[in-house]
Amino acid sequence: MKITQSAKEKTKIKILQSAVDLIIEKGFDNASLREMAKNAGVSNPTIYNYFPSKEKLLYAYIEQKHKEAVATIQEIEDFHTYTLREQLQTLIETELELYLEDREFIIQIADMVFHSSGLKMGKLYETNALFIETVDEMLNISIEAGEIQEPPFREHLPKLFWDYYIMVVAYWVKDDSEMFENTTQFIDHSLGLADAVLHSDILSKASDLGMFFFKTHMLNSLQNFASKKDSFDLIKRKLGEVLHG
Amino acid sequence: MDNALPTGKLSRGKVVGKALLKIGAKKTKRFVTGGDKEQNHAEIADIIFDSLGELKGMSVKIAQQVALGMPFLPPAYLERISKSFNAIPSINKALVRKIIKTELGVYPQDAFDTFEMKAFAAASLGQVHLATKDGKQLAVKVQYPGIKKSIESDMSLIHFGMKRFAKGQNVDHIIGEIEARLYEEVDYVLEAKNCDFFREKLQINNIVIPEVYHDLSSEKVLTTSYLEGLDFDSYLLSSPSQESRDAYAQLIFDSFFYALYNLKSIHADPNPGNFLFMQGGKLGLIDFGCVKKVDEDFLQMYNQLHLNLLEDNDHISIIQQYIKLGMIEEESEEKMLKFYTEVIKPLDTLYKEPLIGDNYNFKENPDFAKRGFKMIFKVQQKQFHSVHKLNEQFLFINRTLLGYYALFEKMGAKIETGYVKDLMRKQQIL
Repeated sequence: MKITQSAKEKTKIKILQSAVDLIIEKGFDNASLREMAKNAGVSNPTIYNYFPSKEKLLYAYIEQKHKEAVATIQEIEDFHTYTLREQLQTLIETELELYLEDREFIIQIADMVFHSSGLKMGKLYETNALFIETVDEMLNISIEAGEIQEPPFREHLPKLFWDYYIMVVAYWVKDDSEMFENTTQFIDHSLGLADAVLHSDILSKASDLGMFFFKTHMLNSLQNFASKKDSFDLIKRKLGEVLHG
Repeated sequence: MDNALPTGKLSRGKVVGKALLKIGAKKTKRFVTGGDKEQNHAEIADIIFDSLGELKGMSVKIAQQVALGMPFLPPAYLERISKSFNAIPSINKALVRKIIKTELGVYPQDAFDTFEMKAFAAASLGQVHLATKDGKQLAVKVQYPGIKKSIESDMSLIHFGMKRFAKGQNVDHIIGEIEARLYEEVDYVLEAKNCDFFREKLQINNIVIPEVYHDLSSEKVLTTSYLEGLDFDSYLLSSPSQESRDAYAQLIFDSFFYALYNLKSIHADPNPGNFLFMQGGKLGLIDFGCVKKVDEDFLQMYNQLHLNLLEDNDHISIIQQYIKLGMIEEESEEKMLKFYTEVIKPLDTLYKEPLIGDNYNFKENPDFAKRGFKMIFKVQQKQFHSVHKLNEQFLFINRTLLGYYALFEKMGAKIETGYVKDLMRKQQIL
């Protein structure tokens, strides 16, 4: 019998939810894939088929939430009337809203990412494709509609926004205010600031300054460096990694 | 950018501090140049409220409350404050969605059949959105997050600043009162209760009070039926007939006293934004964030006093009643008489002025409010060294009334006093 894509998706979500519940109950280290499978009503081979390790399951969870957030946003009829800032703010607030019922679980993940070496930050980046694609699209539309000017470093902004998003989640995890309203305000104010920067000329002025230094001072030393070809290539590669994630 | 609120005590402190610095400079300038006093007041008022404007949110409300609570501030301040009405920061679409979801558990599109993301009015510490559900038009008031928490830090700053303006007057109890009122005002559950109360009890022809939808309301979201009408300024701009102006002023006047005497509660915020001028001479009362309860014993004494004032009873018996009301401290007769004639009498003369005759035409007395505020200012200056704390309920009622009189004056309206005097006499019999 052939398993359809949607049935597969359903099973995946079922496993994810029972995994989250179990991790909230027992902690990440003590929750076994075996027990998750049992709770989700699937066989052991099945769960390994979906998630070869517990870590993979975490990443799948984050990807799943991105999917749900984007789906929720797509339901907003007049989303096209939202400003860029409102769209970005809605994306973040929607993600947090989805995290809310799994907050204990998110706290555990955050702890593993920020405080122990349980999870590598770099690995988290592998989960952000849909998020970045969504932000990229919002930016494109905004530029095309003339809401903002094409900003310098345009192609890096979605990734930067993801970093910002991680920061928001880290703040939310530590937020003990009523209904997490401090986080809501933090998002509102920080996006207000980002919005102001995007609507101003600051970014391009900063890039002018950067280019000036680069051309007049850095280029010389780089050319010196370039005579030793191997190390120049190495630097270029490193630089590329930094810029392109 | 458009509505970034400065957060945290430090940044708020900086804004207030900056304003105080600027005021210091202005004062020095006046000292050096001699300068026109009234103009200086206007300049200083601009500085204060510019900085309060920078603080936004709470501060606008605080500015209003300070104006109500401290009428001794020069007229220039009060004028500047009235400009800040409705200047509440806007809540963007993302935030509106978020607040509705947090408060009602579902997103706006699921809570209502339709929901306009763009607000149609500013309200106390939030904004109002139009929505529909089951064919009914609704007004959904949404509050900015974190407002309640910022009351305390904002008020301690205002306290710090205001002490310098009050020139040695004890402002602590006024600040305390304002703070308590602000906490009440941010609590939409309380407002919903007040709204229900007035809707049920304020049975006066042509008064319309919206219906609260409790299942669509919470501490920070308040959903009521939507009333259609003109706000105060638009109403006046529509050049209404004299008849219409008189009728509306009468309605406001009568219902204030009806509520005071029959419900022992007043809608104590004379902000014109709380009224909606509706079709067919109906008046919508829409904001119940500021309701003041009055206790029975006090009311009896208050009423007796005002009846006697209208009959021009002798000073000694009037003073005895003021002592009971906690407006005059018992001491030597000479001292009490002096306090009465210098501080209290100018005020009660003012408050009773419209009540003396069978009617009072504000059109023929276009300087009533101005005289009133001047008088209060003068009285407060005389009261300068007095540490005597006046009865809050008393001040509150008369302050509100004076606020309404100021509206009647703007409307150029004439009021009849018969109904109100009847109420007063009936109260006496009770």
